[in-house]
Amino acid sequence: MDCIISIELGTNAVRVYAFDLQGQILGFARGTYPTFHPYPDYSEQDPEQIFITMLYVLKNLLNEKVHSKKHKVISICFSASMHSLLAVDRNGAPLGSLITWADNRGQKEASVLSVSPMAGEIYKATGTPIHPMSPLVKIAWMKDQQPEVFAQTDKFMSLKSYIIQQLTGRVVLDHSLSSATGLMNIYKKEWDPTALGYAGIRADQLPEPVPINYCPGKLLNQYRVSLGVPAATKILVGSSDGCFATLGAGVWDEHKATITIEDSAAVRVIGRDVLSDDKRRLFNYVLDDAHYVSGGPSNSGGVVFEWFAKQFGDFRNAFDLETCMEDLVKEAAAAGPGAERLLFLPYLLGERAPIWNAQARGVFFGVNINHERKHFARAVIEGILYEMYSIERMLLEHRNIKEISVNGSFASIPFCTQLIADIFNLPVRVSANASSVSMGAYLLAATDIGVYKNIEEASRSVTLAETYRPNVRDSRVYAGYFSVFENLTGKLAGDFEALANLA
Amino acid sequence: MNLFELQQGSSRELQLFPHIVSTGCKKNNAIHLESFRETVVDFFRIYNIIDGKHEWRVDEEDLNLYPGDTVLILPGRKLSSPKGFLEIGSLAWIHFKIDSLERAKFFPGKWSSLSESERYTIGNILLMNRSLAPSKTGEASRILASLQSELLNQGIAFHTRVNQLLDELLVAIARELAKEANPGRDFSKIFFQLEQKLRDNLARQWSVEEMAATVGMGTTLFNVRVKSYTGFTPTNYLINLRIAEAIKLLRKQDLNLTDIALDTGFCSSQHFSTTFKKLTGYTPSEFRKRNTGDT
Repeated sequence: MDCIISIELGTNAVRVYAFDLQGQILGFARGTYPTFHPYPDYSEQDPEQIFITMLYVLKNLLNEKVHSKKHKVISICFSASMHSLLAVDRNGAPLGSLITWADNRGQKEASVLSVSPMAGEIYKATGTPIHPMSPLVKIAWMKDQQPEVFAQTDKFMSLKSYIIQQLTGRVVLDHSLSSATGLMNIYKKEWDPTALGYAGIRADQLPEPVPINYCPGKLLNQYRVSLGVPAATKILVGSSDGCFATLGAGVWDEHKATITIEDSAAVRVIGRDVLSDDKRRLFNYVLDDAHYVSGGPSNSGGVVFEWFAKQFGDFRNAFDLETCMEDLVKEAAAAGPGAERLLFLPYLLGERAPIWNAQARGVFFGVNINHERKHFARAVIEGILYEMYSIERMLLEHRNIKEISVNGSFASIPFCTQLIADIFNLPVRVSANASSVSMGAYLLAATDIGVYKNIEEASRSVTLAETYRPNVRDSRVYAGYFSVFENLTGKLAGDFEALANLA
Repeated sequence: MNLFELQQGSSRELQLFPHIVSTGCKKNNAIHLESFRETVVDFFRIYNIIDGKHEWRVDEEDLNLYPGDTVLILPGRKLSSPKGFLEIGSLAWIHFKIDSLERAKFFPGKWSSLSESERYTIGNILLMNRSLAPSKTGEASRILASLQSELLNQGIAFHTRVNQLLDELLVAIARELAKEANPGRDFSKIFFQLEQKLRDNLARQWSVEEMAATVGMGTTLFNVRVKSYTGFTPTNYLINLRIAEAIKLLRKQDLNLTDIALDTGFCSSQHFSTTFKKLTGYTPSEFRKRNTGDT
C-alpha cells in the first residue's frame, strides 16, 4: 500500500505519522527534545539534537510500521513551529543554538521598533505582529548584541530550512513559515525591502521562499538508503504548524474558526483576504496563492493548567501528571460555572494576543474564604478559555463566526470543549484526528498526488466528530464573568509594568 | 549528661557489631563554652534531634536543626557550631564505619543486606546531596530509637535486627533526600537536570542505573517515565545526544575521529562509525567531508 509520511517539528517534540492515501493513520511515533534557558528571556534548542531525534524517530517508524508491512512511501511532508531562527556560517555550520518562538531576548528591539514610523508599514506588508517572537526582531537583536556572529552569518535559517537542507541540500522556506518571519511581503511573497533594511541583511541571506507544495528535490542518497525509502519519494516542504492545524481542522468557510490549545494556543480563520487590524494585534500568514490564515496566538494554553497541577494537584503515582490533571478536571467540574466568583488571568508567561504584553502576570481575583481547590482548578481552566474568547472577539470585528472547531490536547478534553461552547456561545466540533497539524500535511500531500482536486476540497473532506452545543444559561453566566476578566486585564496593565520595574 | 552511651571496644553490647563505632543519647542541661569544637568527621554520623534548637555548621553550610530533624554527616566533612558550644537540648546519635563510599561503589559492609543496585542508588543519592539535613519525617528517629533499644535489650535475634535497622536507617534517609530533591511532581524538570548532566559528561559510560540514581529514582520507574516522556529508552536518548554532539565536533576540522568518538562516549572509533552510519547513512568521515566545504 502507498503511504504518506508527515513530519511535524513541534516546540517540544517531533511527531511522525504514516497515513494511507485515504488519510487513515498507519503508524505514529514521537521523540522529545529540550528547550534551554541559559538566561531568563532566552529559549534555545540544539538543532543537531532535533535533526538526530527526527531521523531516529522516522527510521524507527518506517521500520516498524511501514517497511515491515510492505507499505511504500510516496511522499514526505514537513511542518514546523513558527518564528525559529538559526544563524549558519558559509559552510552551513550553526553559529550557536536555534532560537525558538518563545524567546524574548529582543524585547527592547521590539518595543523600539513598534513605536517607530516603520512599524505600521512592516506589519502591513509582512503580516507578523511586532514582537520578540518574530525572527525580524531576533536578527535585529543579533545585529546589536552579537555583531561578530551577525557578521559571520551566511544564512539566517528557520529550523525547517536547516532540516531540509540536511536532507536534500537545498535552502528553502515555505511561504507559511516565511510569512511568520516578519520579513516577507505577504502579497508579493518576496522578502520585503523595508524589513530587510531594518534587520540589516540582504535577501540572499535568507532561504528561498517557496510555495507549500514545492518539492526541493530528492533525499540525499545516504539518507534514502539508511531510511530505506524509494528513490522516487517526493519531498514536500509543507507549511507551518499553525496553518496546517487550520487546514487539517476543516475550517474552510469564512464563518468558521478553529481553536488550537496545546501548551500554547491560537484562534484562527482561513480566508482570501488579509485582515487589517490598526492595532496590529492579528497575524496574517500565507497558506497558498489564494488563502491566508489569520488570527491571534496565546502563550497561555495547556501549559498554565499543567503548572497548576504540578504545584497544587495530588500525585497518586510519582510523576503521573496525566492522572493528576484528570483528577483536577473532575474536581473543577464539581464547582459551578464562574467558580463562585473566582477569576483567573492566565498570563504566567506574559501574553501575546490580544494584549501583546510581555510583562503581564497571572492573577487570581475574587478569592473568598469558602473557596476550595476545585474552585481554583475551575478558575484556571475558565481563565485560559476567556483568554481564547478575547482573541475570538478581535476576529469577530472581521468575520461573522458561527461555528468553532477545536483541536489540541487541552481543548479536546470534553469538559474544556463544553466550556468553549458555553463561553463562546457557539456550537463546537472536535477534530477526530489526533493531530490536526499532521492531518493538514496529509491533505497537502494527498492533493499533490491527485487524491483531491485542490486544497479546498481536501479541507472539506475532513469530518468533525462530535458537536457540543452551548448551554444558554451557562453562556449568560460566562458573559458576565468575561466582562470582568476583560476589565481586569485592561486595568492591570499599569500595575504589571510597575511590578516588572520593581528593584 | 549522657542518658546512655555505647563505645566500640569498651561496650560489650557492640561486640557483635564491629562496624558500629558508638551510639547513644545525650541530654544537655547547661551551656558549656567551647564544648563543640570543629572536628573533621571520621565515620558515618547520624544525629537525631530530640529536643531544643541547634545551630550547626557542616563544611560551609549552616544548618538550623529542630526536634525531629535527622542529620547525616559523611566522613571527611567538617562539623562545628557557629557558637562554639552544644546548645541546650537532647539528641541521639549513631556513628558507624562504611567499607566503601565511592560514587559507584557504595558498600556499607558485609552486615548490610542491600542489593548491589540498591547500594548503587543509595550511594549516589547520599553523595549528591550537599545539604544533609532531611526534614522531619519522624521515620529516621523512630528507626534509630528501635535500633538503640535492640542493642540495650538484646532480645531474640537482635544481631539480625540491629543490622536490618541500620539498613532501614540508610534507606529512610536516602528516600527522604531523594524526595526533597524531586517531590515526584515535575518529571520534565528533573529530566532536564539529567539532560544537563549527561551533556556535561558525555564521555562517561553511563548505565541506566546510574542515570536513574542521578535523579534519585529507582531504575524501573525511571525507565517507564523516560520512555513515556521522551519516546525513547534512556539508552537511546543518550545515543541521540552522543551523535548530535559528534555532528557538532565533526564540523570542526581540528579534531580527529578517535578523539571525537571518545569525547562523545563511544568506546571506540569503530563503534562510533557503525552507530553513526546506521542512523545517518554517512560514515563520520563522509559526513565531515560533506559538511566542511572540504570536497
